[in-house]
Amino acid sequence: MSTFTAQLATVLRLHRAALIVWTVFVAGCVGYLVWLTQVTAPSLLGPREGCPDGGTDPCVIGLDYLEYSSPMGWVSTFMYYGFWAVAAWSAAALIGRELESGTARLAWTQGVTPARWLAAKLTAPALVLIAGGAVFVPVYRWAWSAHRALMGDDWTFADVFAARGPLVVAYGLCALAVGTLTALVVRRTLPAAALSVAVMIVLNRYVEKYREDYWPPATGTPHGAPVMQADPGSYHPQSHYWPLHLVETGIILTVTALATTAAFLLLARRTVPARTPRQESPA
Amino acid sequence: MTDTALEAAALGKRFGRLRRSAGWALRDCSFALPAGRVCAVVGPNGAGKSTLLALAAGLTAPTEGSLTVLGGPAGQARARVGFVAQDKPLYPQLTVAETLRMGGDLNPGRWDARAAERIAAGGDLDPKARIRALSGGQRTRVALALALGKRPELLLLDEPMADLDPLARHELMGVLMSQAAQHGTTIVMSSHVVAELEDSCDHLLLIGGGRVRLAGDIDALLETHARVSAAADTDLAPHTVVESRTTGRQLSALIRPAAPLPADWRTGTPSLEELVLSYLRNPEAKAAGAPAKSPEESVA
Repeated sequence: MSTFTAQLATVLRLHRAALIVWTVFVAGCVGYLVWLTQVTAPSLLGPREGCPDGGTDPCVIGLDYLEYSSPMGWVSTFMYYGFWAVAAWSAAALIGRELESGTARLAWTQGVTPARWLAAKLTAPALVLIAGGAVFVPVYRWAWSAHRALMGDDWTFADVFAARGPLVVAYGLCALAVGTLTALVVRRTLPAAALSVAVMIVLNRYVEKYREDYWPPATGTPHGAPVMQADPGSYHPQSHYWPLHLVETGIILTVTALATTAAFLLLARRTVPARTPRQESPA
Repeated sequence: MTDTALEAAALGKRFGRLRRSAGWALRDCSFALPAGRVCAVVGPNGAGKSTLLALAAGLTAPTEGSLTVLGGPAGQARARVGFVAQDKPLYPQLTVAETLRMGGDLNPGRWDARAAERIAAGGDLDPKARIRALSGGQRTRVALALALGKRPELLLLDEPMADLDPLARHELMGVLMSQAAQHGTTIVMSSHVVAELEDSCDHLLLIGGGRVRLAGDIDALLETHARVSAAADTDLAPHTVVESRTTGRQLSALIRPAAPLPADWRTGTPSLEELVLSYLRNPEAKAAGAPAKSPEESVA
């Protein structure tokens, strides 16, 4: 196990720049969310002249709320579509460049089998993505529900829907696996990156389009909280958020598992003799 | 340790199965390399030398046949096999020290940090220098340090000396030879410059057109071939003719004698380079194994 830990450390050392960029991005998003929620929102909500009841109750005047809701929206949008960057990076920098420049062969001729190499290559960034999600998602959930009156969005918005749970991490992991697979198939850095991003965009568009079909909708007339429209005459109340979210997470993780398995099989087919030759014992 | 470091049986590798241009880089190769030898893999560009070394290193799978490395299928003895690829791939973003540290991380239980650092230090390399800032020769040095630091039983080197200046080449060849002498390391190195290998290698594997043309102990190969000159109308049978040329009334040939040679022929032992070139110039000449290794060949 300690051997594998050393291999993970090697992967992180090799991709130090990407690790720093990702850490700064996640930390920046989290810090910004806290700032928006704790500093920006109260300053907009403070009692003011012109508010009803002589300015004693918190209220928002004009379009000031955009100072809060617009950056909040950007944070969830960037985090949601962060998988585009992950797809390009894993296809190009993580795997493609190694195959193109021959450094993968350098690793495979140390004491590491290609399968172990790929396992370390995938595990290290996967752990980083999961850790990032574990920090971001709770903070985002807290920030998103703190000042609903200032927000123009609701739970059905595509980015909000993903960013409030593990789905945002699942898309990152899926991009990691798809990028790895395309790099192993194409074996060239730039075409692999382009293909990987394209595949992820198509997958995301397609899965998102059928989002309302992942759980049986309620019928009748919606009342109260914002709802997700399904077929005419049926809808998803907010209580369907978790089932819908978790089913989609499951779909994306299934794709992730399939892409990962395909990557390992492809690598094995290239590097391991098909039939292990039964060696004639040397005299 | 097994007696045979490398043994190929009907080994073949084809690239691009799906494409129309699919071709065999290596086909029907059979040879055996005893452990502890320093073997030169010689052949023209594109002969299949790099493919053979990549197969031995377990980097690609053979299309047919088998290759036994240190007693097991290729790829199963990774920890005991060192490999330096022709273009000396290294991670450009790491420093020299980080590269050697990676060698330690990826070769648990085998890594000899002092040996690796000693080889790197021989070139006045700054351990804090990034790989991307190094010259070709310095990169070769780091790549060799990485390969030798894992104390391999079999060291596979693809064109190892190509970017080294004569001084560094001499020094690193000395390092390799002392490694072979001290630890009994089997070394297989490819080159298309025969002269580069003549002094240090004791075994030859000549590859041309994806096939083994000549394999065996160099001294034995030289002994079983002869350079002869005789009158132009001489019949060279029953000897195996590798190459013959007639200039005026003079016939010169490189042959594999099948019987004692007539006294009126002028004979000599060929140099390694002459032998190699004769085989390469004459693709039709029959492949020859070392007499001791393949008795059926010497009957021919």
